[in-house]
Amino acid sequence: ARAQPKKKKKVDVKREQAQKERMKKKIRKLEKAAQEMIPIEDFVTPPKYLESHRVRSLPPLSSEETERRVLLLKKWSLYKQKQDEAEKKAIQTLIASQQAALKELRLESEELYQAAIKRDEGLFPFERDGPNYTPPLPDYDPPEGKCIDITKVYTQ
Amino acid sequence: DARVSCHRHYRSRPTHGIGKFKYLLPKEAPKKRRVQMKAVNVGTDHKYGDINIQMTSYDMCLVEHFARHVHRLCNRLSIRVNESYAMPTKTNEVLLLEERGSKMQLDAILTTHQRVVQICGVSATFAPILLEIIQSNQPEGVDLLVKEHTEADFKLRLKTRPELEELLAQMS
Repeated sequence: ARAQPKKKKKVDVKREQAQKERMKKKIRKLEKAAQEMIPIEDFVTPPKYLESHRVRSLPPLSSEETERRVLLLKKWSLYKQKQDEAEKKAIQTLIASQQAALKELRLESEELYQAAIKRDEGLFPFERDGPNYTPPLPDYDPPEGKCIDITKVYTQ
Repeated sequence: DARVSCHRHYRSRPTHGIGKFKYLLPKEAPKKRRVQMKAVNVGTDHKYGDINIQMTSYDMCLVEHFARHVHRLCNRLSIRVNESYAMPTKTNEVLLLEERGSKMQLDAILTTHQRVVQICGVSATFAPILLEIIQSNQPEGVDLLVKEHTEADFKLRLKTRPELEELLAQMS
């Protein structure tokens, strides 16, 4: 009657300790292995697009057509260049006007200038949805349904 | 490095590619380390730390082009770009309730793509200007989210380890 509970305690403690050690070893082994990144499906071409019979045969272009296209390309590149330059100029004017305003502020009061130079904490989680081609209809009744997330969950 | 000083390539000359040697060296497999950089937060001084510009959309080409545009913009404005990566794609299956008698559900599969450009060290006066520029170039259907980089954001890119989590739960 006295010996049995002692055995149980010893054996249990030993077993528990052994189990804990084994678990710790397993955890250490798993943690040692480098964490893998989830593979991105965008960068893997689906095999159906790699088939060899998917080749488009285009008709030959006439010289007028090629010339028209080349001239169009030139006009387009000029237009885009002007657009890009206008954007760069706009950025420069923005920066310049900001600097001028800060200079004037400095002349006005040093304290306000120091406060203006500090970073804005409220700027951060900045969210903006992209513009839409058409605004949302006011009395639109969308059909009912549901969205199921079927992303593949990768485990290591 | 002599090649750095010359910008042009002179591809029709026989000396094209003179000075190239990296193709002769044995290829080294890139060793990827999962240790992330510590967030740089230089107090109230003038710089922001690591900022993530996340762009999400259903259209992959638009998102990629926009990410490329933002990256090149930052290069041009000499803002340091830490990384420019893609987050895993999310797939949603949309089922609609058909109201014509039999209540069957139609299918459509939508994929959401997300690209992230990580920036470091923007000055406090320049950040609003940068935001303005990015907003003005934002294409239709691309949602923009600018936030600080945190460990949680980094962990979203890593695979889950259910065995490890089970063992840790058992331990504690």
